[in-house]
Amino acid sequence: MSRSSCGDGEPSPVADTPDRIVLKRHRDLDGRKHHIWYRRGLVGLLCAFLLLGAVNVFGQRPAGHTVNTPVASLELYAPSKVRGGLMFEARFTITAHRDLKNALLQLSPGWAEGMQINTISPSPLGESSRNGDFLFTLGHIPAGQKYRLFLQFQVVPTNVGRRHADVTLYDGAKKLVHIDREVTVYP
Amino acid sequence: MDIVGRGVVVFLFLYLLMRMMGRRELSSLEPFDLILLIILGDAVQQGLTQDDYSLTGAILAVGTIGALQIATSYANFKFPRLRTFLDGEPIVVVQDGKPVEKNVKRERLTIDDLAEAARREGIPKLDDVAWAVMETSGQISFIKKSDA
Repeated sequence: MSRSSCGDGEPSPVADTPDRIVLKRHRDLDGRKHHIWYRRGLVGLLCAFLLLGAVNVFGQRPAGHTVNTPVASLELYAPSKVRGGLMFEARFTITAHRDLKNALLQLSPGWAEGMQINTISPSPLGESSRNGDFLFTLGHIPAGQKYRLFLQFQVVPTNVGRRHADVTLYDGAKKLVHIDREVTVYP
Repeated sequence: MDIVGRGVVVFLFLYLLMRMMGRRELSSLEPFDLILLIILGDAVQQGLTQDDYSLTGAILAVGTIGALQIATSYANFKFPRLRTFLDGEPIVVVQDGKPVEKNVKRERLTIDDLAEAARREGIPKLDDVAWAVMETSGQISFIKKSDA
């Protein structure tokens, strides 16, 4: 316990330093001056994290991906980064430059792994499996026409990680367009 | 298992956030702070249990946070060196009626804040204060001068 004193030797009216308060440490901040920088560093990290969120690092802003061939073009508009529990939409636009007699859209299983498929519109003519992939039969698309397929999803909250979510367009057995992509699910 | 993991992450994040925010924000509970707390609780709940409405899920989530709180409290008691990190340390903000400027600034306090806190303790003037110490909880303890 310390007691400050006046110049004339009289005791100061100021009370003793409170118990367990060490002036060097608790007033002069001896040995803890740098602690404030830990706090500022953590605030900086938090801000960086928030900034990453604002610039779509953690999803789920959709982005377009188009592949053109002389026969047809396929545009996919969907987010590639999503988070648990969120709903999102994938839009597939097929533009036939030549007549497609039997258009088939093949999706890799990553599209449905840990996802709920809420709606598919318009309903494809058929749904089946090809070597573990989903196969939607879209049927005839005349030259110069577009076919838009919407799929609505919801991410199952326990589904975390990265998966292939490729899309391939066929005309019968002939492969026309392939989009190679991945979807990342954040917790 | 997933809920336990989420509970641990949420607890650690909230602990760090509270330490980051500083004591001043922790000590005050103005109406707006109360609203923020409710929003915080709601946002955390969604991330923690998501669509799990089960009793098991609720017990796992609350149990995880409770267990971590007990563990933190025990670590605080058992390992004094951890106390600085877990709880922080008190800081002297007024000595002999005069604010300790650098500490006051560090805690983002104004003289008005100090005077208000002193008034709440029935001390009309800072000059009457021998010591004011901002505790780890964010509350300010005042010790009056012996002649005040």
